[in-house]
Amino acid sequence: MDFRKKIGSFLAITIILLFFFIWELFSNYEIIQIALFSKPSLIFGEILENSIEIIAHLLVTLYRLVLSFFIAMFIGIFFGMIMGYSRYVYRFFNPLITTLMAIPGIAMAPVFIIWFGFGDPTILSIGIIVAFFPIVYNSAIGVRSIDKNHVNAAKIMGANKKHLFLKVYLPHSFTYIIIGIKLGLARCWRTVIAVEFIAATGFGLGYWIWDAYEYLNVTIVYTGIIILAIVFFTIEKVIIREVEKRTIDKWGVLHEQES
Amino acid sequence: MYCTNKNLKETIKTTLKNTLIFILPFLVVIPFWEVISQLNIIAQLPAPSEIFEKFLYMAFEIDVLTQHLIGSIYRLIIGYILAVTFGIFLGTIIGLKKIISDIFTPILSLLISIPTIAWVPVLLITLGLGDETVIAAVFLGGFFTITYSVIHGIKTVNKNLINAGKIAGAGKYKLFESVLLPGSLVSLIPGLRLAIGYSWRALVGAEMLAAMIRWGVGKMIFTARMSNVVETMFLGLVIIGIAGLLLDRLLLYIEYRTVVKWGMVTEG
Repeated sequence: MDFRKKIGSFLAITIILLFFFIWELFSNYEIIQIALFSKPSLIFGEILENSIEIIAHLLVTLYRLVLSFFIAMFIGIFFGMIMGYSRYVYRFFNPLITTLMAIPGIAMAPVFIIWFGFGDPTILSIGIIVAFFPIVYNSAIGVRSIDKNHVNAAKIMGANKKHLFLKVYLPHSFTYIIIGIKLGLARCWRTVIAVEFIAATGFGLGYWIWDAYEYLNVTIVYTGIIILAIVFFTIEKVIIREVEKRTIDKWGVLHEQES
Repeated sequence: MYCTNKNLKETIKTTLKNTLIFILPFLVVIPFWEVISQLNIIAQLPAPSEIFEKFLYMAFEIDVLTQHLIGSIYRLIIGYILAVTFGIFLGTIIGLKKIISDIFTPILSLLISIPTIAWVPVLLITLGLGDETVIAAVFLGGFFTITYSVIHGIKTVNKNLINAGKIAGAGKYKLFESVLLPGSLVSLIPGLRLAIGYSWRALVGAEMLAAMIRWGVGKMIFTARMSNVVETMFLGLVIIGIAGLLLDRLLLYIEYRTVVKWGMVTEG
């Protein structure tokens, strides 16, 4: 099993390298235009040459992502719990949340620019809003899907409200909360990049890409996009996977799907 | 006859009741919002009545709203249809052929990590500043999701059904048409619903960034920024929210009429 996994990832890397090689070859023989598609050697050179600048942009974007995501997570889980707890609160807020969830973050940017101006306040607040909805939605569903017998059993054994919350509601709804967190993080990431396109003032990967586009610097645009892909791939496959392994898989709530 | 009539009545009754429950919170929030903005507690927050006035003005007096809507819907439909067609095609090939799956899966999982909006600068450079870019963004928004859902659908078709089909003498084409394709609908149809959400979002984002288009709901918000007309921005947001919700409900309805009704998935 382990051996097969190794061969699989080896194959994956080979194919991605092959993809870059063909791209390079095509631009060298001018089958595709360098002015439109750049080429891997130029992109690689760009990464080596401006690595400090790239890291600075990356750190600013990550800082925005982490800050807005964590604020959204805490408010979202807390509020989702309340929504799951009470049927009336759920009925009242569910329609509002489903409607607002359909609005993409970048569309809110012009309004927030008027309110807060260009820069961090706008980017962060839109990031928070966008990440908040999936988290609150799934946390509420998680609490609502709890088997009432478990709650009653805990009550009979003398659990007070605090125990009930910490030992019954929170662990049981954790599967759903994690789903919400995954969706929220992905949306937050996408939105932070998108809003950086139009609202950032000097740093951030989105700002860097958009600035390069306005000067038609194709190589930087492609470099930026490849970095975006690598960063998100890492976040999803390494960090989130690790969190899932330590929580959901360990508690045996979710059965890993064999694919 | 009487029975079906009664059923129909029941259905209409529950639908009406659900719609009412859904609308009720808005009936509480909107007056509240009106009061807050009339008292000027938050600067630059237009009241719902002002937004509605703007709606009447843009829809009937200068008659631009329909053009914005038509522009957006036209791009959405073309991009989404392309995404569905190519997504199902690629997903089927990858799902069926091991070699192609080995080649494409790494590239796909790298490409899917790129946010759709980040493609827009590349598309603007390669396809120009007009409609093509927006349509391509809509396409990319839905394409990967649909491809993945088809692959997943084909992989999770019950092996017994495939074997039964083979034993009954189905050829490769027959097996695909009568077993694999219907079997993968379980995953494809929810995938289509996810994809239209992504496509809709990509559409709005790309419309805001593509400079050469005139009409479109995203464009409407973006041009309102130039002249600082907050009412138009909010009107745009309201339209985007409602349209996104309606699209989702449409696909949900299709989901209920197909896979849920056929008993392939339980109601969520």
